[in-house]
Amino acid sequence: MISALLALGLAAGAPFPLPPSPLPVQDTVKGKVVYEKWCAGCHGETGAGDGPAAAYMLPRPRNFTGAVYKIRTTASGQLPTDADLLRAIDEGLAGSAMPAWKGRLSDAERRDVLAYLKTFSSFFADTSQHVVALKFGGEPGGGTSAEALKVGRQFYDSIGCRKCHGDQGRGDGPSAPTLKDDAGFPIFAADLHQSWRFRGGATAADIYRRLRTGLDGTPMPSFSDLIDQKFLTDEQLWRLAQYVRSLSPARTPEVRDVIHAPRLAAALPAAPGDSVWDRVDRYWLPLVGQVIRKPRWFGPAVSGVWVQAVHDGKSVALRVSWDDRTRSPDTTWLGFERRVLETVAGDDSGGGRTAGPFPDQLAVQFPRRIPEGMERPYFLMGTETDAVYQWRWTSAGGSGAAGGAVGGLARGLERFDTLPGGPAAQTSYEHGEWRVMFTRSLATPDTANELQFAAGRAIPVAFFAWDGSSGEHGNRLAVSTWYFLALDQPTPPRVFVTPVVVMLLTLGLGIVVVRRVQRRQA
Amino acid sequence: MNWRRYADHPFWQAAALLVAAYVVIVYVVPLFPGSALVPKSVVLQYMATVLVGVLIYVSDNEERWIRFREPIHAALVEPRLRPVRAGLLVAVPALVGLVAYGQVRTTVAAPPNLRSIHPAPPSEITFRGKTITLTGLDNPLRQHPESSAAYAADGKRIYYQNCLPCHGDHLDGQGHYAPGFNPIPANFQDNGTIAQLTESFVFWRVAKGGPGLPREGTPWNSAMPRWEDFLTEREIWSVILFLYDQTGWKPRTWETAGEAGKRKGDD
Repeated sequence: MISALLALGLAAGAPFPLPPSPLPVQDTVKGKVVYEKWCAGCHGETGAGDGPAAAYMLPRPRNFTGAVYKIRTTASGQLPTDADLLRAIDEGLAGSAMPAWKGRLSDAERRDVLAYLKTFSSFFADTSQHVVALKFGGEPGGGTSAEALKVGRQFYDSIGCRKCHGDQGRGDGPSAPTLKDDAGFPIFAADLHQSWRFRGGATAADIYRRLRTGLDGTPMPSFSDLIDQKFLTDEQLWRLAQYVRSLSPARTPEVRDVIHAPRLAAALPAAPGDSVWDRVDRYWLPLVGQVIRKPRWFGPAVSGVWVQAVHDGKSVALRVSWDDRTRSPDTTWLGFERRVLETVAGDDSGGGRTAGPFPDQLAVQFPRRIPEGMERPYFLMGTETDAVYQWRWTSAGGSGAAGGAVGGLARGLERFDTLPGGPAAQTSYEHGEWRVMFTRSLATPDTANELQFAAGRAIPVAFFAWDGSSGEHGNRLAVSTWYFLALDQPTPPRVFVTPVVVMLLTLGLGIVVVRRVQRRQA
Repeated sequence: MNWRRYADHPFWQAAALLVAAYVVIVYVVPLFPGSALVPKSVVLQYMATVLVGVLIYVSDNEERWIRFREPIHAALVEPRLRPVRAGLLVAVPALVGLVAYGQVRTTVAAPPNLRSIHPAPPSEITFRGKTITLTGLDNPLRQHPESSAAYAADGKRIYYQNCLPCHGDHLDGQGHYAPGFNPIPANFQDNGTIAQLTESFVFWRVAKGGPGLPREGTPWNSAMPRWEDFLTEREIWSVILFLYDQTGWKPRTWETAGEAGKRKGDD
């Protein structure tokens, strides 16, 4: 990082002539060895981004032969600097399969591999092109003030961000279903509510840089020319970057094991949009592709869910919110869905890879009863002999009293048997976000099959999500591992009494000791 | 030279030692590779142990013991130290109260996950209807050293098309799906996995996956697929060859692995 910054600073503003590369000597012969051992599996022997793993990930690995790079510090259409490439190698590209190689490969190995991957394109051989990083001013202060964000929002609308990224930034704009990159692969307009998945970094400065440089090879343009045309000032573009930053949590959400459900004295929330939910802690749980049972799925669309829960001693309410660009089933995304299915490998799918339109779905999974020991059913929807209790919701379920939700028993991925009297569900879909609120009484008559909730216990819980417009249905879904739901108990009085008693005892003991020592002294 | 008087004094030495121990346990230990935050209850235990050790040291020598007690005695009786005395009488009970509150407060934590990482393997398994004896078994592909490069290349392709999302580009268990699972995928670069296992053990784990684990391996949590549903026997041996080839580890051989059988007896 420091060397990258140094290199950037040197390349951008040094007053004296510099050697063409600010990095130490690079060895393409050694670089080839490193590349073939660690990089070719995804990027391919010839650098064409077509290694054996390439079809098992979305976004696809970079094709080095065209020398087109998304994350740069240089002007739109220009080659990246060495420091740009080294940053991607060192820190990886968040939200993709590219890991951070710093600490995995030595400094020399990373420099050598950088030199080697430049040999895949003749563009880098042309040394007459002088590649320099664009020079930017510093970030203006006050970036989180309401005023700054209002200015940012104004330009978000006026320069057309919403066309792809949508009104609230979840990548659900009207043009989103048409997007592909230069190679024809489907590309999602970034979900601006998940800054920790931004390839080029999550800070306002990173976002500003993307706005200035554009993402070459994708539909995301550079907005530098708008400054030149005096459509907006540099500061206003910074405000836009700060506004985009404000859409995500200030910090990358930490994954916590236990979802705590506070006990409410008042009534449970009546709807998924109830203001009660604003006061309840929310938990981010990551989801990943189902790659355990045939047919596997390497292109999961839902990267995680936000979960909140409350109870009142009689019933529990659980709200699951997640970002989804489409309110499926939605035929406007059929073309996009087809491109996703063509891009993501499915060698063992056994047919059935026709495009939808499928609905969006969610499953919340519990064991049938709270386990006494650590043993619990198999996390991936139980087994034939050890069923799990699930709440399942589908967007095609209509708007009846159940809101499209049912309760039932899953015995593995392939089998689900509905039980009578499932949970109540209420749903909202707004600007690329689903919110599904389940409500169920803690106790039910069917104690054999339905989980009986109890406060003060760690109740295993897992989540599964399907995005119909990404071709997800059946075994093609995103899965989580087991987490825990804990319904808070009313605090027993001893929690407050014990510390006071202990403090008084200690104080009394202290006074006795002091007195005795003083008396002896006298 | 006021500080030197303090530095030489057993009481302040003991106080400094306790503070240093606390800093090491709470802030330094988590920095070691492979270690985590020390749980509060364990910190309490460690600190109690350190305190006992310090007390043994200061009371070991009569003169030291008398000097150690001087500041304590002074704090209890000296009229000029009255504010210190009052401060201690407030601070110590408050601290004790806080610790007591932390102890009685009810929080629900995830149940401890006691998992045997390398449970004892069975002596034989059924692979797609064929019985394979694991005891004494080596990777059959190693009988053809002239073709090992080709086998490893096969294994590499299979790894990248199947194992990469979880076990990662660097084979260190940090693939892009790894954060979604618990337990996290095995790290083959670590000296505690394939480096100390026989290839037949690795074959068993790959072929039978999470669902094939014995109870002590918590089969209900593992996201490892049963690869016999996807890969042939030879493909699995190729990928195992690749794992050792790529990481540079050597498989444990049966001569040195005598205790694999012993371990089974122990469990």
